[in-house]
Amino acid sequence: MPSSRTLALMASLVRRLADRFKESILSVQDYALLSWRGLTALATPPRYPHEIIAQMDSLGVGSLSIVILTGMFTGMVLTLQSAASLDAFGARPYVGRLVCVSMVRELGPVLTALMVTGRVGSGMAAELGSMVVTQQIDALRVLGSDPIRKLVAPRLLAGIVMVPILTVISDTLGIFGGSLIGIFNLKLSWEFFWRSVGNALTMNDLVMGLLKPVMFGFILSSVGCHMGLRTTGGTQGVGLSTTRSVVVASVLILSSDFFMTKVLLLIFPVK
Amino acid sequence: MADRLDEHDGAEPEDALGDPYAGTAEAVARDVDEPLVWFGDVHLSFDRPILKGVSFTLRPGTTKIVLGGSGSGKTTILRLILGLLKPDAGTIVVDGTSVGVLREPELRDVRLKIGMVFQEGALFDSLTVGENVGYRLIEDGHLPEEAIEERVREMLGFVGLATHYDKMPSDLSGGQKRRVAFARALVARPQIMLYDEPTTGLDPITATTITDLICKVRDLDGVSSILVTHQLRDAFNVARSFMLKKDDEYVTSVVEDMATLEGTEFMMLKEGTVVFEGSAHELQTSTDAYIREFLS
Repeated sequence: MPSSRTLALMASLVRRLADRFKESILSVQDYALLSWRGLTALATPPRYPHEIIAQMDSLGVGSLSIVILTGMFTGMVLTLQSAASLDAFGARPYVGRLVCVSMVRELGPVLTALMVTGRVGSGMAAELGSMVVTQQIDALRVLGSDPIRKLVAPRLLAGIVMVPILTVISDTLGIFGGSLIGIFNLKLSWEFFWRSVGNALTMNDLVMGLLKPVMFGFILSSVGCHMGLRTTGGTQGVGLSTTRSVVVASVLILSSDFFMTKVLLLIFPVK
Repeated sequence: MADRLDEHDGAEPEDALGDPYAGTAEAVARDVDEPLVWFGDVHLSFDRPILKGVSFTLRPGTTKIVLGGSGSGKTTILRLILGLLKPDAGTIVVDGTSVGVLREPELRDVRLKIGMVFQEGALFDSLTVGENVGYRLIEDGHLPEEAIEERVREMLGFVGLATHYDKMPSDLSGGQKRRVAFARALVARPQIMLYDEPTTGLDPITATTITDLICKVRDLDGVSSILVTHQLRDAFNVARSFMLKKDDEYVTSVVEDMATLEGTEFMMLKEGTVVFEGSAHELQTSTDAYIREFLS
């Protein structure tokens, strides 16, 4: 028979778990509402074109260098690793085909989204979180602005538009990097490598490679905004929101990638 | 006093530009019995009760100074008036409109009547001083750019920062930030001004500049206000001072006899309940132990 102290401890534990669960459900509800309001705000006026351009510049142009480096080195290392494995089967000439399909379908979208999450998603959470703790969000509301229209909607649009563009750049540079390794390290001819790339890519690959980053862009910007606007507890809270936004967005990107791949493979099967 | 405010160009607000904000403050010259702000038995709780049955009224042309310790619910009252929070129970009426039941878009008209000076100023970091002050007018889009700039410069002159139009908030001192926040709150000529600890963290001289501005808005523009503070010195400064304009100069006078003060009421909160409401004289002569301790 458990003692009254043990029972009290168990009751406290259950209560805390229930509170945590309720908090999580509320957070998901808030996230869904914020995303819905952000998206509907894009469809109706007033819109803030200056804000939209500023966010696209920050997210797109600002992330260009890390996306270029990530894409290029990923393509290069993928070529080296693939060649080592393919050599065992005498299939080195297929390396270009493997690299381009891997980059376009999977690595380009996911790595670009993860890099942009680290750079921009965290920045969104930090910026909005700072605005919350310094009462700037309250000031916006008092002065007649809707923070969702003014702050969230432009960031969502920037994510949805710019992440696919960055992904295309990353894919291109990844394949280019792979071709450099193929030519200078694996002694493949330039023409052969690019012809195998052209032969390997299908419209299905391109559709899959462009649909995923749209979703990833939405996830990283909506999570960044959600975490930022839920900030409490001063500057320490801003730090926590920033960390959480990167962790949650990264996990969501990776998990949604799996489910999207399952669905997209049904819609656009590999021929 | 005049030295502190001498950057003000002394110009009266211009209404001749087809200005949709013209005369907003003058609306206070209506029936003085009709409260501008009315709190009826307002309750609010988060993890713990914040307000427990708070009731009070703010009559046109008067100032209510809300005193109380940290966590007593002072700032919450201002947030409720602005509709930033919803009460759990009770009624909040602002200029005849019950704000507790309004949705966010419907609150816009109510908020247009209110100017708010936040505790740390809450200036937008990414905008210049001029853009901060003119934010509401730019958002409304009712005025042409030239008229907005003229109004903004007028307001910056009013708070003694006419030369700071193009500066960024990060270039300003704490006191200057509060004054810019003041100008931003005043730019649309509100009927009601709300001040959330406007002098906290400022040195005594800068704090006096801020309390002078509060008196100036109250006495020269007839704007009703609620001042939330725990700085007794500044609260009594506002209660005792009044400002006049003589020959284009602002002159501050101080009332020595607290019993003769009119138009300023004190309210004291303790753990979410109103423990005192009355004049400065009644506050000073109160025998309540908590009030005595707070005043000591």
